[in-house]
Amino acid sequence: MSTVLEVLRPGFLLRDAMVASILVGVVCPLVGVYFVLRRMIFLGVALPQLSAAGIAFAMLMHRTLIGPHLHGRTSDAMLAQLGALAFTLGGILALAALERRGREIVEARIGMVYAIAGALTILFIAADPWGEAHIVNLLKGDLLAATESSLAFLAAVLGVVVVVLLAFQKEFLLVSFDRDLAVVFGKATTTWDTVLYVLCGITISFGVLAAGPLVTFGFLLAPPLTARLITGRMLTFSIASAAIGGLTAFVGFCAAYRYDMPLGPAEVAVSSAVFLAVAGATRLRRALRLRPA
Amino acid sequence: MCLLRLRDVSLGYGHRPVLEHVSLEIARGEFVALLGPNGAGKTTLLRGIVGLIPVLAGALEYDLDRTTSPLGYVPQRESLDPTFPLTVFEVVLMGTYARLPALRRVGRPERALASGALDLVGLGALAGQRFASLSGGQIQRTLIARALAAQPEFLLLDEPTAGVDAEASAAIMAVLGRLNHDEGLTVLLVTHQLRLLQGLASAVFWVQDGRVTRRRVEDIGASAAAALGAPAGA
Repeated sequence: MSTVLEVLRPGFLLRDAMVASILVGVVCPLVGVYFVLRRMIFLGVALPQLSAAGIAFAMLMHRTLIGPHLHGRTSDAMLAQLGALAFTLGGILALAALERRGREIVEARIGMVYAIAGALTILFIAADPWGEAHIVNLLKGDLLAATESSLAFLAAVLGVVVVVLLAFQKEFLLVSFDRDLAVVFGKATTTWDTVLYVLCGITISFGVLAAGPLVTFGFLLAPPLTARLITGRMLTFSIASAAIGGLTAFVGFCAAYRYDMPLGPAEVAVSSAVFLAVAGATRLRRALRLRPA
Repeated sequence: MCLLRLRDVSLGYGHRPVLEHVSLEIARGEFVALLGPNGAGKTTLLRGIVGLIPVLAGALEYDLDRTTSPLGYVPQRESLDPTFPLTVFEVVLMGTYARLPALRRVGRPERALASGALDLVGLGALAGQRFASLSGGQIQRTLIARALAAQPEFLLLDEPTAGVDAEASAAIMAVLGRLNHDEGLTVLLVTHQLRLLQGLASAVFWVQDGRVTRRRVEDIGASAAAALGAPAGA
């Protein structure tokens, strides 16, 4: 309890890091509900990895074309953001286009993207020994390094994502649940799919740079999977996913601060523990209900 | 008056035609069915009519403006993912999206429309229930309610009684008959259950070997009925 009070103190040293954690914890699940419902869970692993490859690629290009970069500057973060965004958006849009036209197994295609992105990330870093250690830090995501300005930018971008998600909720639901009906109604299904994918790409690329691929993937999936067990309506599903994500991010932050643990893994561990607890309770309740009196 | 006219239409997937030189007409207020053996192309024809697959050749014309008068479409229920956390009411509400532009939120009129559609198919009491927990017959009636929530002039259904028990099938057909008779709704459905059409359908379009021919229900002969796996007149 004292940890919680300390963390909530106005002058708390790591306040920006805590707010960034909660932001990623709230917004990633809002996008993640569509990953779960559209059965694109593997994309949740592949895209953060692709985002990481984009960061490494941007750094390498800078060194190759312009010259050595000074690490830790704002331009460094912007460069990494551009690389992450370009790779993630390019990847998700290409996969979406192939999904509609291709004949191979979708999971195989996404698995290949993951393998290629993982390999490219390592190769790009290896080719840029100048900043290897720093790039590795960028790839892991560094929530503790969040500053007031980086937090404001993250909040603005993720805020826009939430507003667009809410504004076009009925369109996203229709193309996700029954694409055929959307076509029959004359809706611009390709446009809505693209907008949704772009929102996913933006959230993932910003999430990866702020918190790393592991945390981004964890929050894309664990909160929606937990919420799906306890809600039966679409609106409550989205709200519960975001609430669980935000709450587990906060609890994870407090635990990491109290016990001096790495922040990202602590948050994912709390989020996963909540999922396992809810799944266990749901199974138990079902078993008790089925037991003859 | 003709609501839908197909003239020498070819339909297929990619550039490969499945049905060629199809010509048919459906009048306003008619109750007609696409009938034929499995794999004959009934669903392909229906999907072509609603615009889910492209017309490769020929002309497909509606005597209605589909932007202001959307079609009521009931897909095969297996095409919908039961893992979505949706209530029956939320599914029916989707029908009202047909007339709602982007950025316009669902309001009281849309909710009233969805409630009314659910009452019409006799499922008003199940509005708050999870869609995935319904029986096959109840799912079909929910999907019919969703189609009605679009306030269509023309209702098109893909095998609405497939995998549904006899009692539920009769209930579904009774709802469709009532909508056609009382509300003047034009109905086109895909089926291979000839007996369900008797007393309801004014005609059937027999689909076989890539050809489509219009017949009266009572004129479906023994050989055709056998192709459906049903006795003639059954």
